[in-house]
Amino acid sequence: MRNRRARARGPTALLLLLLTLSLAGAAPAVQTGQPAPAVTGARLDGQGQLSLAGLRGKVVYLDFWASWCKPCALSLPTLDGFRKEFGSKDFAVLAVNVDHDPALARAFLSRRPVGYPSLFDPQGELPVRFGVETMPTSFLIDRQGVIRRVHKGFRKEDVPELHTAIQELIRSGR
Amino acid sequence: MAGITRRFRRAALRRRRPAWRGVPRGGALAALTTSSLALPGLAHAGEYGDLGYTAEYKYSKYTEDQVASSRVQSGSNDRYEIDIHQVHLAGPLTERISLDLNVTHESMSGATPFYVVPNQNGGNPLLVMTNATIDEARTAADLKGTLAFDRGSASLNGGVSVENDYLAISGGLGGERSFNEKNTTLSGGAGFSWDRIEPTDAESFGRNSEEQKQQGSLFVSLAQVMGRNAAIQGTLQYQVDHGFLDDPYKRAFVVSTSTPEPDTRPDLRNQFSFLARYRQHIPFLRGTLHADYRFYYDDWHIDAHTFEFAWYQMIWDSFRLIPSVRYYTQSQADFYAPYYANPQGNDLYSSDYRLSPYGSLTWRVKGETRFQIYNLDLLLNIAYERYTSSGNLAIQNVGTANPGLVDFDMFSVGISSRF
Amino acid sequence: MARSMSLALLLAIAALSSGCSVFQVRPWERESLARRDMAWDPDPLQAQVEAHIHFAKEASLAGSGGGGGGCGCN
Repeated sequence: MRNRRARARGPTALLLLLLTLSLAGAAPAVQTGQPAPAVTGARLDGQGQLSLAGLRGKVVYLDFWASWCKPCALSLPTLDGFRKEFGSKDFAVLAVNVDHDPALARAFLSRRPVGYPSLFDPQGELPVRFGVETMPTSFLIDRQGVIRRVHKGFRKEDVPELHTAIQELIRSGR
Repeated sequence: MAGITRRFRRAALRRRRPAWRGVPRGGALAALTTSSLALPGLAHAGEYGDLGYTAEYKYSKYTEDQVASSRVQSGSNDRYEIDIHQVHLAGPLTERISLDLNVTHESMSGATPFYVVPNQNGGNPLLVMTNATIDEARTAADLKGTLAFDRGSASLNGGVSVENDYLAISGGLGGERSFNEKNTTLSGGAGFSWDRIEPTDAESFGRNSEEQKQQGSLFVSLAQVMGRNAAIQGTLQYQVDHGFLDDPYKRAFVVSTSTPEPDTRPDLRNQFSFLARYRQHIPFLRGTLHADYRFYYDDWHIDAHTFEFAWYQMIWDSFRLIPSVRYYTQSQADFYAPYYANPQGNDLYSSDYRLSPYGSLTWRVKGETRFQIYNLDLLLNIAYERYTSSGNLAIQNVGTANPGLVDFDMFSVGISSRF
Repeated sequence: MARSMSLALLLAIAALSSGCSVFQVRPWERESLARRDMAWDPDPLQAQVEAHIHFAKEASLAGSGGGGGGCGCN
């Protein structure tokens, strides 16, 4: 009698553990309306540190990208275009590169240079913190550091919508 | 009797069709071999996945070895040579819809096995070959459209294949859906093909002037990511062939009546296969291993196993060397025989080596290099393969191997560009 | 016997629903999987020619299965 109960405890515990693990990966860490988690890191080009806090007061487009992700490559010129159009007083692009080997990211950028800096996060801590579900993922953050939009993936057809969203956030001046 | 064989041989002089022809590349086949092509993000184009346009061309030259004269009773020793040209174009039509076009043109010449006769000297059976054809051609085209969703896609394809004596029209549909943050992918599809055969010189071969065949197929596949550097995929496939399944250009010799009977097969064939594929990247070696296994079974009682291994070795930053090896073994169809002692009660005859028991070994080596011209990202590849088949290579004991078993070389060169 | 079998089944379901988390790869960790040499068919034209030859010379079915793996982008 006691043996049977003891034998059932092991597998049941394992079952509960697996169920917990299965739920753990499912919930996104951030949603619109929430303040953006902290972002700090070293720049890919070696020119010091970057942080989200340092950009408070500007509308920030936070973009997670990697050299191996083709839609990310397509988005880079578009984001650089936004940077040029909206100016550095009101707007900034903060890119987070998640390449396992930062050298690949630097090589990629040397072939397709952009005017905004990337910080590198090869350990992938920031994507976990932000609940990234696909590559690329970007977050539109207002001047108060609150997430206003989560953009999963990148397609050319999304560009006008993004453009309008950024414009509105800049104009609202809050 | 001699008169009959003479008549057949005269007819065979004029035209030849190998067991090569009439393979539709649309329908089930296209859904299966090209389903990964148009999907966004899948690594078929460029070093990493690509959302742009693709244009590719490949030329392959297939040359069968000559048959040893000692194995041939009559007809030409020269076997088949085929030049194959393939063009593939792909690109997005809208943000979510992409198109894939495949066009193939093949030209062939040579002789093929007609039937098999016993050896009067008591050795291995001998081949009666056709005489060599001058030149025949096949052209095929297949178009596929894919609609991409958030975590999956759906596709539709249609194709046609044309030769002087063969027309095949095919179509198919497929879809896939990913789960578990795209670590697990379920895909499936269905296809059909309708073929019309108008054998050349049908009357002199004692054949109908027109025959038809229909084909239907289904597949279901599950793929699972196994960590950052590995993935595995299992596929179950079913295909049914119905209609005229004989080879109108082949005979099977019956000793007691000294008659080469027309190749006659059942008009139904149910086929099943299970394919397992494994991919393992080994970062510190800068290489990737491919390991595939396929099991096949049909209701003609052929069962077959295929093992294929390839190693993709990165050299410097823009070259790849890819050696590979493939082993294949099959058992025979239950109505097959190299020749028959007496007429068959079920009226089924075939001496086609494709239905005989044998094994084959292929070794291949391929080299690839990437380079850039202006904005174009180009990939050039060159490959050579050597295929040998024999009764000895089969897993089971083979009593009498078909003398028509073939060995061949294939050389191919291709260029691929993304923009 | 029945109890251990149903436990085993529950474990299997739990394992599958957790996505076999031992093997689960996060979307930003798909670098190696996105490589061309990790594709099921890195050279689809070659795969087509091979399938065609094997179909014509051998008894087996052609066809090579569906998708999965890869970069998982968008």
